[in-house]
Amino acid sequence: MDGESRINYYILFENYTQGMMLQELLREEHISSRISPAPRAIQGELGCGMSLLIQPEEIEQVRECIEKNQAEYYDIVALPCQINPRRNRFC
Amino acid sequence: MRKYHIGIDIGSTCAKLAVLDEGQKLVLKSVQPTGWSSVDTAESIRKKLQEEGIDVGQSSCVATGYGRISVPYADKMITEITCHARGAMWIHDASEIVVIDIGGQDTKIIRIEDGRVKDFVMNDKCSAGTGRFLEVMANTMALRPDELCELARRGGGTAISSMCTVFAESEVISLIGRGEEKENIAFAVVESIVNKVVSQSSRLNVGKERVCLTGGLCECAYLWETLSEKLGCEVQAAPDGRFAGAIGAALSAG
Amino acid sequence: MANYVEMWKELGMDLEAHDALCAVLPTAFGDVYLSQENRPEGMGFWDMVVADIHGIRPAELIEAQKKGQKVFGTFCVYVPDEVVIAADGIVTGLCGGSQFWVPGGEKVLPKSVCPLIKASVGARLERTCPFFRIADMYVGETTCDGKKKAWEILGQDVPMHIMDMPQMKRPQDVKKWEDEIKEFAGVVEEFTGNQITPEKLGEAIHIINEKRKALNRVYEARKARNIPISGRDALLVMQIAFFDDPVRCAQMTNKLADELEQRIADGVSVFPAGTKRILLSGTPMAIPNWKLHQIIETSGAEVVCEESCTGTRYFENLVDETKTTLDEQYAAIAQRYMGVNCACFTPNTGRVDDIVRLAKEYDVDGVIDVNLKFCCLYDTEGYTVEKALKDAGIPVLGIETDYTDADAEQLRTRIEAFVEMLG
Repeated sequence: MDGESRINYYILFENYTQGMMLQELLREEHISSRISPAPRAIQGELGCGMSLLIQPEEIEQVRECIEKNQAEYYDIVALPCQINPRRNRFC
Repeated sequence: MRKYHIGIDIGSTCAKLAVLDEGQKLVLKSVQPTGWSSVDTAESIRKKLQEEGIDVGQSSCVATGYGRISVPYADKMITEITCHARGAMWIHDASEIVVIDIGGQDTKIIRIEDGRVKDFVMNDKCSAGTGRFLEVMANTMALRPDELCELARRGGGTAISSMCTVFAESEVISLIGRGEEKENIAFAVVESIVNKVVSQSSRLNVGKERVCLTGGLCECAYLWETLSEKLGCEVQAAPDGRFAGAIGAALSAG
Repeated sequence: MANYVEMWKELGMDLEAHDALCAVLPTAFGDVYLSQENRPEGMGFWDMVVADIHGIRPAELIEAQKKGQKVFGTFCVYVPDEVVIAADGIVTGLCGGSQFWVPGGEKVLPKSVCPLIKASVGARLERTCPFFRIADMYVGETTCDGKKKAWEILGQDVPMHIMDMPQMKRPQDVKKWEDEIKEFAGVVEEFTGNQITPEKLGEAIHIINEKRKALNRVYEARKARNIPISGRDALLVMQIAFFDDPVRCAQMTNKLADELEQRIADGVSVFPAGTKRILLSGTPMAIPNWKLHQIIETSGAEVVCEESCTGTRYFENLVDETKTTLDEQYAAIAQRYMGVNCACFTPNTGRVDDIVRLAKEYDVDGVIDVNLKFCCLYDTEGYTVEKALKDAGIPVLGIETDYTDADAEQLRTRIEAFVEMLG
């Protein structure tokens, strides 16, 4: 599927408030981010939490935005694109 | 180099190829087992086309059948329902027909009105009334599917009650164990398939119009004769019926 | 709470089993939701709720319980939320939309029970659904035989109240439902220790009506030729509505509707022109059952309306807000709920009329009538539905499926063929 080899970045948080705050900051700077349930493989002991999904073109801007605003987050993890709309695997 | 319209129908059992020239004349058809990998099958079809002097790059190509996603050189994918309908209309030169396609893993009944698919039914996961059912029973009886069909003509007096392929197989095994005549068991197998197809057809009120059989089983004369009898109308089967899906795909590529 | 694992532990959940569910949800959500382009920005709220589906809302419910509120877990759109809200209780939906829970249900139920019931019982008995663990009382109803017997298993260690649904819609049946609602009100009052007054009931009626109006706005927006929201997103909004606080639900849904109305004004569509418009009719799709929507919307069609309990049946018709005495209010509530058409009633011509009407209102190219496997009521009614649609010249495809992945490719073939037929 498209972008199978593409890298996506997931920003993990300790709680969803942190995540919502960072998304708001990114929105102000017109950097796109999407809320995604964190893939289990990278979640560690965080529980079933939210993450922000960032495209590789924007990850540097995101890092700058985090730096500038001292935004709180837990980790940034790079993963090959996990999304495949025709996978036919449902919950 | 000439431009062709290529139709590839990768079914669960067999892969069919049909090539039409620009005048819609059928210039090539072939059939091969699908085997383990649809991708390999698609590649071997590409090589075959090349050997025949047909350049895939210069031609238009449509893939259909359950393996349609595995043909990287196809320009389009169209479902086997639409392709069988188009192919059957072309083969039978008709625009008001009902097509019954008994395929390897599914059976489809398609009503065509005014040259367009108007309605269709298709079996779900269950393989009752499909080619697979026939194949499994033939295997159990150490026969080829076409042998089983012809043998059935001479049989009678026995029935298989299970629709499920797995249960029906054990019924066949116990019939063999009981010493039932082979032709009687064959008769029961064909009856079971035809009854299932007839019951599916009832949802589309089949019976009043021209009915055509497509798919691999149209080569079994006894099967479509029985089907005609039970549906109460003449079921037509053409020699190229097996290629209806591939021909329909080639027509769609045009 | 930063980490919900502690909360789940305190709820007595089976963490290891629950973890397996947490592992599959992100993949499915990514495939179904994050693969979509140009989603409404307002969907961010629902994305967040799903990302922490067993975290955020359960934590809120537990906080409310600490303050003395009671949580009522319900399974059906006929259970009147108004009554619970009026007694300062909270209503929550319960789990039942995933294959993950089905094997657990099959340990105690026959195979030939619908997946919704099997999943609910599995989620309850295997302790993998926080909402089941949190609810102080379950409220069941007698809408089908499977559920009636399932209550006897579910209600073993949590208080359970069952509302007896009429099977017909004669005046005496509406009256009977009114009496059932009054009896339920008595149970709720006693359980919460709060009296229901006409003022409080009036307020509750208003709250739920506002939620219905908001959901209806989203559906109205889907009537536009340029469709501003995918069927998958609309379904998610509906699914979460069963769990969320009704006031917040209305607020967020209205915000989304504002955005959708703006999109219509701007001519923004989430599908290319010419995509076939589909009405889905039939059985409910509890979260996270996104299977059929996903297959349809990746096969050249878009779902523009759901005639189901996770669709129009949930929000259609309002309760009359002008009544001032409890008796009149309960009668008005009964009227509203008995105006909803479920296949559990006979005769049920109203539902068939609804489907034909919705098909026209939403300007659909075809209807897909879906039946959750082993739902005898909707399966049988499918015949009447299909016939009525064919008579009205509306193409229809009947589909029976469950929560498993096994039939996905076959469904895809059938749905693609249906879309080709419409083309």
